[in-house]
Amino acid sequence: MKDLFHGEFVRLTAEDPDVRAKIEVHWQRDSEYRRLLDSEPAMVVSEKWLKDWFEKRNEEGFSPNRYVFSIRTLVEEKLIGFFSLWVDLIHSEAWVGIGIGEREFWGKGYGTDMMKLCLRYAFTELNVHRVSLGLHSYNPRALKSYEKAGFQLEGCTRKDTLREGKRTDGFWMGILREEWLAMQNGAKP
Amino acid sequence: MKNILTGELVRLSALDADEIGRTFARWGRDSEFQRLLNSNVARMASAKNAQTWLEKELDEQPVNLHWFGIRKLDDDMLLGDIDLYVYNWSARDAFVGLGIGEREFWGKGYGTDVMKVILRYGFTEVNLKRVTLIVFEYNPRAIRSYEKAGFRHEGRMRGVLNKEGRRWDMLTMGILREEWMEQNK
Repeated sequence: MKDLFHGEFVRLTAEDPDVRAKIEVHWQRDSEYRRLLDSEPAMVVSEKWLKDWFEKRNEEGFSPNRYVFSIRTLVEEKLIGFFSLWVDLIHSEAWVGIGIGEREFWGKGYGTDMMKLCLRYAFTELNVHRVSLGLHSYNPRALKSYEKAGFQLEGCTRKDTLREGKRTDGFWMGILREEWLAMQNGAKP
Repeated sequence: MKNILTGELVRLSALDADEIGRTFARWGRDSEFQRLLNSNVARMASAKNAQTWLEKELDEQPVNLHWFGIRKLDDDMLLGDIDLYVYNWSARDAFVGLGIGEREFWGKGYGTDVMKVILRYGFTEVNLKRVTLIVFEYNPRAIRSYEKAGFRHEGRMRGVLNKEGRRWDMLTMGILREEWMEQNK
């Protein structure tokens, strides 16, 4: 069987609240990272606040609808990002949230490698039927990476984001189980 | 669409900790009921014990547990309880547990009826792939009822139970989604 936890450039590792809080303090100072990640106002909080938050999430334990990983590079063992899967158990759909906090690892294939691991985990371990995600239209690098991993652009919520005085669109992407399986057999995304 | 909470004789109902706690305490006085229900050592819980435990369980509303009371359609009498516990979402398999505490309603089709209701619920609402149960060798009435509801025999753990000075087998039964679909076309 394939190794679920190792990709070409990165590996999955358990989320450790101490480690994650320490590094998140640095990541959140990069407002561009925050703006690419979600729609919340960029905010800086203390390491203690973050640690409490990650610890609380950790204490909730292994719930069947939430799977969280930290990501390390294979070469330097450097913690560069994370991904989380939230599963709608009844309808077998997973939503993915993914981010690379270390900006020198942007645009070099690390994100695509992470997403490939994420999809393998979702389709072969969680056995979901589809994986969904949302992104900002002003994040073309992410769009390209998700397409490479096999996602299709499925929808657009027009002008749902207001940043720097400009309204931009939200994009919604998805990949179905059959499509992912076909890709494993050599089909192009 | 059908009302998936209702069968021909009974319906699935919400559990009320006070009511079911009192009722559990009463059903528990019937040691035969306890022996048929599970393999634990028969104990007696007070209504208060049962209520406290139930309140906690019901409060959490765990995503894995679909737990109902069983009520007669004609007079709304509480007959027992049934639960579907999804122990593995990745495999989409759930254990079903069923108990009818009111013994004058044993062997009259109520159990089979509610099992059919919970199977429809499991396969069409929770979208399960299979449902599993365990039953004891000394409960032939239940075994027949589960066979009628569509379960097939899958395994037998020999002599795993020790009751009344002898060993008894525990049987596992299961039904697959395709089988249920075929039976309920």
